[in-house]
Amino acid sequence: MPSKRPQAALPLPPEGIESPGGAGSTRGIRLVESGAMGRVAYARIAPNEDLVQGIEKLCVAEGFRHAFVRGALGSLVDACLATADGGCRAIAGPAIEVVSLAGEVRPQPDGSLRAALTGVVADTDGRVHGGPFVAGANPVCVTFEVTLEEWLPATS
Amino acid sequence: MTLPPLPRPRTLVHPGPARPVRIEHLHAESGRHARLALAPGRTLHDALVEPLLALGMPCASLTILGGRLERLWYCVAEPDPSGARVAMYGPARDAGAATLIFGNATLGRGPHGRPMVHCHATFVRADGEVRGGHVVVDRSIAAEPLPALVTSLDGFELRIAVDEETRMPLMRPFAPARRRGAPREAAHAV
Repeated sequence: MPSKRPQAALPLPPEGIESPGGAGSTRGIRLVESGAMGRVAYARIAPNEDLVQGIEKLCVAEGFRHAFVRGALGSLVDACLATADGGCRAIAGPAIEVVSLAGEVRPQPDGSLRAALTGVVADTDGRVHGGPFVAGANPVCVTFEVTLEEWLPATS
Repeated sequence: MTLPPLPRPRTLVHPGPARPVRIEHLHAESGRHARLALAPGRTLHDALVEPLLALGMPCASLTILGGRLERLWYCVAEPDPSGARVAMYGPARDAGAATLIFGNATLGRGPHGRPMVHCHATFVRADGEVRGGHVVVDRSIAAEPLPALVTSLDGFELRIAVDEETRMPLMRPFAPARRRGAPREAAHAV
């Protein structure tokens, strides 16, 4: 169920603020999205669920279309972080602790939801490694606690 | 271009029976927020619990933004040598007068309703090395007020209890009982 909470503390500019498109890569992307925070969900994700898809499934179950990750801590069996060359770096556990996490969930053009999460993990000696979490390759070890705040973009 | 294959994720088998519900979740209709300065000279546990209980926020999620500590103790997760669990916390390690980079904490209730805090953070140890782990909040002490953003989790409870599957104490959400003595409703299942 979508939240009944009133939306949009701030009105959108008439046509949004869009990038000038000089670099090409951001052409047509809205750079400012006004809106309001909605509901707050807390979940405990159990062992062997994937971190990235677990957060996406939580949004499906709660009816969130957009959300920001607010609190997140827990452990992974092994961690898999994306590298800039398109590969990934595996950090062997168990267990790998997630010690910092930021991210959001957004709907895709086909209606599916996608979480984009970046963070820092600590290995079994406390050494830290950082990067984007690869979907499907970061299974929870003992538990993962996550708090999401629903984001309600203003409808223009 | 062919990308290298992803590592095959491992499915670990924990010692106890697995609960069929794998994502337990509850929500509040709106967030209630507060900004805290965690008091220096006290344990992080006390500096966090006391103001939150005074604000009527017994269950909350916090982002600790950073700052200097007089002393920081932490643990990392290691395989359990006894084999009784898949992983457990190793011995507490002393990071000395560390600087917190970023941390997240959850406040809930332990056995007998006692407030309990679970905190993970990234920090710079006194020797300059960056490390991360589970912060031992009842032994770590701030050296200056540490700013923290709090989101209160209203309308449900977080409780820490030993989990049958993993044999580790962990936090789970529970809907409030409707009346005294009524069984607590389980959180929604995915």
